[in-house]
Amino acid sequence: MGFNAESLEELRGEPDWLRDRRQSALATYERLPSPSKTDEEWRRTDVSRFNPSDFSKLEHLDGLKLERPSGLPAGVILKPLRQAAMDHPELVEPRLFSLVHADRDRFAALHAAFFTGGTFLYVPDGVEFDQPVLGQHLSHEGGNSVLPHTLIVAGRGARFNYLDEYIAEDDAETGYRTGSTEIFLGEGSQVGYVAVQKWGRKVWHFADQRAELGKDSTLRLFNVTLGGKFSKTRVEASLAGEGANAELKAIYFASGDQFFDFHTLQDHRVGNTRSDLLFRGALQDVSRTVYAGMIRIEKHAARSDAYQANRNLVLSDKAKATSIPMLEIDNNDVRCTHGATVGPVDPEHLFYLRSRGIPLQTAKRMLIQGFFGDVLDRIPFEHARKLVEAELESRIG
Amino acid sequence: MADFEIKDLRASVEGREILKGVSLAISRGEVHAVMGPNGSGKSTLSHTLMGHPGYTVDGGSVIFKGQNVLELEPDERARLGMFLAFQYPVVVPGISMANFLRTAMNSKRGYDGKDKSKQVTPKEFRGLLKGELEVLHMDDSFLPRYINDGFSGGEKKRAEILQMAMLKPEIAILDETDSGLDIDSIKFVAEAVNRMRGPELGILIITHYTRILEFIKPDFVHVLVDGKFVLSGGPEVAERLEKTGYAEWGKEETAQPEEVA
Repeated sequence: MGFNAESLEELRGEPDWLRDRRQSALATYERLPSPSKTDEEWRRTDVSRFNPSDFSKLEHLDGLKLERPSGLPAGVILKPLRQAAMDHPELVEPRLFSLVHADRDRFAALHAAFFTGGTFLYVPDGVEFDQPVLGQHLSHEGGNSVLPHTLIVAGRGARFNYLDEYIAEDDAETGYRTGSTEIFLGEGSQVGYVAVQKWGRKVWHFADQRAELGKDSTLRLFNVTLGGKFSKTRVEASLAGEGANAELKAIYFASGDQFFDFHTLQDHRVGNTRSDLLFRGALQDVSRTVYAGMIRIEKHAARSDAYQANRNLVLSDKAKATSIPMLEIDNNDVRCTHGATVGPVDPEHLFYLRSRGIPLQTAKRMLIQGFFGDVLDRIPFEHARKLVEAELESRIG
Repeated sequence: MADFEIKDLRASVEGREILKGVSLAISRGEVHAVMGPNGSGKSTLSHTLMGHPGYTVDGGSVIFKGQNVLELEPDERARLGMFLAFQYPVVVPGISMANFLRTAMNSKRGYDGKDKSKQVTPKEFRGLLKGELEVLHMDDSFLPRYINDGFSGGEKKRAEILQMAMLKPEIAILDETDSGLDIDSIKFVAEAVNRMRGPELGILIITHYTRILEFIKPDFVHVLVDGKFVLSGGPEVAERLEKTGYAEWGKEETAQPEEVA
């Protein structure tokens, strides 16, 4: 067994262009070596013990629960991605894996070759709706692969919210998990996107979330990372139209021996664009996290405004957070701010709470919740905010 | 025996000896003032009594309800009935005053998330709060705000006294509550403290200046210089300091504040 041409045969009933694309991605996967510690992006991120073939059984082909908002306006397409590839090739073919490139690395290639499940959402020009679309990606067994992919297309002036929730039935499951997303924002569109990763604590997880923003569009993206023994997530926004505005926020809570890696990119390709990134994480036990964030201001992107911050609350002497901000600026007429902090709970805060009779554990829990508090307020819609708050509360415990 | 007995307390900060043997007996119903010039050890006394981790106890004992509180964690001391009104209340982002107050009250009552009968009810909370807010000339708009976040100096000090009123301690230490306050704020704070005075509460006011003692009349006044008490007596000690400051102990400072604008 393994991820090979034979296992691709399982994915029957797909159009030729998709089959060709999968085969090409599989060839890329076979060609590319596993990333080594000499690659800057993988210097602190050890994948030497990950052998995808251990998990090459696909749990399901379309294991997705989609909640359609009631009264979805006419013209909106919401269906499993594989189905959409059959029904709407003119919308799917030119976009699928055009933002998240299959040849970026071995794992991106493997995901592109074998993705199953996942959603396609198309919202035509001028269509708005308030109730969020909820996509739940479920894994019921361990020892296998669950590789969903989401493709979202917002027409001109479209406005809506979408939630991807990655849920493991068994928190102790092993396996290979992904959860990648491509979002296309048409001119003047406004998209709220939330991804909540709650896979089991022993899985390997790889995700690429990338958006392309057209003129005057606004993306409010919020990533929540909680699961996995190993989780590597790239969050990238390409600001391709003047007036585009990307808000990229994330929280993560690592415990036990979890390892989380985040690489972010704020790519200002044209002028008068704005990006605002805040990644906030808490670590306890012997967990480790790596954050590396790049702000890139391209040559013609004058009057761009970019902000990036990574804040880490380290709750144990044995936990370790690494934060690496990077700037690449080819235009002088811009405003760029970045900052990173890594530190323990402030002892003065702890003393103040305890001096009022609040026991140590309760005080710590309050301070962790407080640390996340103001960023939780930035979750773009109520349903996701409540879900994340409840999830955090149960994990901080 | 007094309710709260400090015996020969010695303490240091970063290896520097600050308190060099302080003894003080406070009974409930009494108000004691500890006065001293800058650097005399006033803050060390308040922080050591409450168990701040930055202060090292080198000797002595503090007996309260049959226990040496120096051996207890800060939250255990608070639950036993001690309270410290901070000189510099800290800003704690992300936690609302309402959540903080409610959690503190629940902790004091021993509510651990299980026995609901110990939990402070929303109605009870609002009722208690309302009366105290009036006395302190505060409104409830500060409740959803983060702890001390964006509070003026006066608001922070009033919020400290409000917490004291809600938590109902038996021994309260007011650490330079008057510093940085205008006269109106001092009056509001004093009024709130005076309302709490009674046979159940012992108060220790730590101050550089005599002014707050005009509004909260102490039963006993102790002068702390270089980590030791150099004089103890009744209210007349404060009057003496009012006139001569700390000069008789070789300190140039007066015991009257400069006017706060």
